[in-house]
Amino acid sequence: MRVEKSLHSLTGKLLLTIGTLMLVGSTLFWYFLLKHQEKELLENSVKYAYSFVDYVKKSTRYGMMTANKLLIQQTIEAIGSSEGIRNVRIVECTGRIDYSSNPADVGKTLDKNRPPCSGCHGPAGKTRDSAIVSFSKDSDDMRVLKIIHPIYNEKPCYTAACHFHTEDKKMLGIIEAEVSLAHLDMSIKNQGIAITIYILIFLFVISVALCTILWNLVSTPVSLLKQGMERVAGGDLDYTLTINTRDEMGDLANAFNAMTADLKKAKNELLEWGNTLEKKVDDKTRTIQMAQAQLIHSEKLASLGRMAAGVAHEINSPLTGIVTFGHLLLKRFPPGSQEREDVEVIIEQANRCSNIIKGLLGFARASAAEKAPVNINDVLDRSLNIVRNKADFFNIKLVTEFDDSLRRVKADASQLQQVFLNMIMNAADAVEGKGTISIITKNVIEDNTEFVEIEFRDTGTGISEENIEKIFEPFFTTKPVGKGTGLGLAVSHGIVLDHGGKLLVKSKPGEGTSFFVKFPADKEKP
Amino acid sequence: MSKGKILVIDDEDIVRTSCSRTLSPEGYEVKLVKSGFDGFKLLEEEQFDIVLTDLKMPEIDGIEILRRIKEKWPEVEVIIITGYQTVDTAVKSIKLGAFDYLEKPFTPDGLISSVTKAMDHKKTD
Repeated sequence: MRVEKSLHSLTGKLLLTIGTLMLVGSTLFWYFLLKHQEKELLENSVKYAYSFVDYVKKSTRYGMMTANKLLIQQTIEAIGSSEGIRNVRIVECTGRIDYSSNPADVGKTLDKNRPPCSGCHGPAGKTRDSAIVSFSKDSDDMRVLKIIHPIYNEKPCYTAACHFHTEDKKMLGIIEAEVSLAHLDMSIKNQGIAITIYILIFLFVISVALCTILWNLVSTPVSLLKQGMERVAGGDLDYTLTINTRDEMGDLANAFNAMTADLKKAKNELLEWGNTLEKKVDDKTRTIQMAQAQLIHSEKLASLGRMAAGVAHEINSPLTGIVTFGHLLLKRFPPGSQEREDVEVIIEQANRCSNIIKGLLGFARASAAEKAPVNINDVLDRSLNIVRNKADFFNIKLVTEFDDSLRRVKADASQLQQVFLNMIMNAADAVEGKGTISIITKNVIEDNTEFVEIEFRDTGTGISEENIEKIFEPFFTTKPVGKGTGLGLAVSHGIVLDHGGKLLVKSKPGEGTSFFVKFPADKEKP
Repeated sequence: MSKGKILVIDDEDIVRTSCSRTLSPEGYEVKLVKSGFDGFKLLEEEQFDIVLTDLKMPEIDGIEILRRIKEKWPEVEVIIITGYQTVDTAVKSIKLGAFDYLEKPFTPDGLISSVTKAMDHKKTD
């Protein structure tokens, strides 16, 4: 299993490929080298054989010239006893062995149709006159080189005193020699073994070097990279690879580290986004809800205003009749009579209806304002002068703290007066005819915008928490039936919003209430 | 001899009746019509001291009546009666020469006071 895995690894495949190529290459190299050497050695052997035959010829020349057969035989025997020479013979044309290193062969006749004679004597009686070299094997399975060299009839031969040979013969016989190639074979074999060993050592060294190089350059970085990827896949985005090479592996590691860093950054962004998403959605939802609520509120007020205008026109005419005829009727009854009191109730209730209509009309009027720079302190003074002499304010202490450097406000003075009167009247109702109403003006800065703030503070009963949310709603009132329409604050709120201002309330039940009216200060300084 | 001659133009019967019932006992001669057309017709025939006209009426509204009266009979004082008052119409009426501006529902005393002032104003002119 492990071997199989190693074989499928990059290093394994590279090693296998390179190893196979080297093995094939080495084998071919080994084969051709050996063949070449063998060929060279054999060629040398053949050359040696020729020179050997020449040597035999020259050694026996004197014996031949003097026809000294004994000398020739002794010379042949002496030569034949040399190492590596198996056999030396001189054979006559008739096939008779004249001389031999093996004395037992002398006198024997060889068959012309059998080797070695058949090598030259063909079936048609034709002969060849050049040397023949052949290889065979001996009984010890060693190679043997056999050379057959012709002896030509030369002038000294047929002119010698013995007259043994006549001139007409072209060939006199052959010299046959057998040289053992055992040494040569041994040498070739030893060289083959040596070359094989060198090649194997070379292959081993190369393999070890390749293994080491591949291990360091490929396997280790790849396994590090794999480990890194597993760590990153497991969520460890802080992991960095340390492969400080300048090759492709180093580039890969750098790219990997960059990728991990990018991943970490992206993940963090996502996480942060996910964390803040809920808050963002909440904020947005709240803003939208507030805007929607405001839109609904102003649309409600606007449609109420339109309706009020229509209602006012329709209702006020019949009310005119009721009031007029009530007064006409009033004159017919003496003062103090029950009838007169009843009619007074009718007139009073008709007036109440009229007041409700007027309150409703406030909505219709809020939008038709003529704005000009106004000193709020002056408007407050005028408003206070109106209420100061009213019976309701006899036991109420009116305190003013006006800022003389108060900024001007671009506003419709009559609408502002309506708002301020409403605030003062509400405060008077809150203190129930007895207490203190403080009116404080000052310049304030909110959200980098200059505002003029007017505070109406009373020492009344305060507003309960459940009511404080409803006080700006039209028709909401805590006053007894007949006393309030529940429109004053709603109309005031509408006017303040129309001037780009804010109307806020702070109240502690039992301690009193403060209404804050804020208008943006006029940008043109007085 | 009446204190003065008053023309009331209003499409609402009850308002016309209220005016006549308030002003007749005070010694004024009161004529009632229910549209601007009828009013102009009567103004061509008779001479009036004061015209009381409603502001919002079909066909010809109070502002138009006021403008025409001030064109043709500038000596006639016009008092505008309105079901609902806006700053715009009030300013417009006064600019066009209306003597007063009465909000419905007016009281008999308020009406008498306004008419008396108008008569005084007319006399001093």
